Amino acid sequence: MSDSAAPRAGAGTGENVEYRVAHLRDRLAAEELGELGVRAEVRAGAVAVTGTVPSARCRDTLLRVVGEELAGLTVHSDIVVAETARPDRAEEL
Amino acid sequence: MIRVAAVGDIHMGPESQGLLRPAFETLPDCADLLLLAGDLTRHGTPEEMDVVAREVRDLPVPVVAVLGNHDHHDGQPEKVTGILRDAGVTVLEGEGAVIDCAGTRVGVAGTKGFGGGFVGRSAGEFGEPVMKEFVRTTRRSADALCAALKDLAGRDCAARIALTHFSPVADTLAGEPLEIYPFLGSYLLAEAIDTAGADLAVHGHAHAGSEHGMTAGGVRVRNVAQPVIRRAFNVYQLALGRSGSSSVVRA
Repeated sequence: MSDSAAPRAGAGTGENVEYRVAHLRDRLAAEELGELGVRAEVRAGAVAVTGTVPSARCRDTLLRVVGEELAGLTVHSDIVVAETARPDRAEEL
Repeated sequence: MIRVAAVGDIHMGPESQGLLRPAFETLPDCADLLLLAGDLTRHGTPEEMDVVAREVRDLPVPVVAVLGNHDHHDGQPEKVTGILRDAGVTVLEGEGAVIDCAGTRVGVAGTKGFGGGFVGRSAGEFGEPVMKEFVRTTRRSADALCAALKDLAGRDCAARIALTHFSPVADTLAGEPLEIYPFLGSYLLAEAIDTAGADLAVHGHAHAGSEHGMTAGGVRVRNVAQPVIRRAFNVYQLALGRSGSSSVVRA
């Protein structure tokens, strides 16, 4: 059974969440941030954006670009800023 | 004992200046040298590497680095290498260096490395020219790493370390999507390390990976990508006078 309101497969409508997420990744890699290993995945109808970035400014930039590219979609983000403290112990090998 | 501090994937940019310097200035208290495992910048521009250079210039411990794929993005690897060297950093690409760490000779062999994947699930040197060149690029890097480690074996080093950006093993990629493993490292690097021998292998690149791994030959591998270690650097204390900790358990 198919949903009559949905575009017919093969109709060439182009609009698709999967491709929008892919284009987000392309834009992140091409612009100011570079490819920082940030993951964007479609989960249960929303987009989960996760990863670690080197500074708070990078996180602000990332979330702005995500907002622009995924406008109208539900986005769950969990972006961590890298920690810069010295370690409190060493590992003995 | 030699104390090895290491970090990779610090991805510095204009606003990063001073973020790591306070932690780096404490290095003499806890480490004898600092290894930088590539991806020091975001796009590999001279301006970004200037930030890195100021962050590590005149540190009281020797600093040894390899470049990462990000450091190649702007197409100026020689120039950004020169900026690091001018700041006193030993930058390795397919070569080794003996570092004097407070009177102890430590050999470091370094290369960026490249991808291709791991045994049974790896790219082959076959088909289109660009595919063959992909694999050959990794093979050349691995061959140079092997030769550098072998050379260091004859130079009276108390310890030998393999420093790469890409991973030699799949162990330290745990947490990354399986589909991208071939872009994160290659078994050819591990084969080189196991063939020539080393006391420790250090890499970065896999932000979502895990810290601990081991080559098939028993060499400890550590992924020091900053998002993985969640520190300015980690420190590994290497006992001297023994190569690895392998033993044969007899029935």
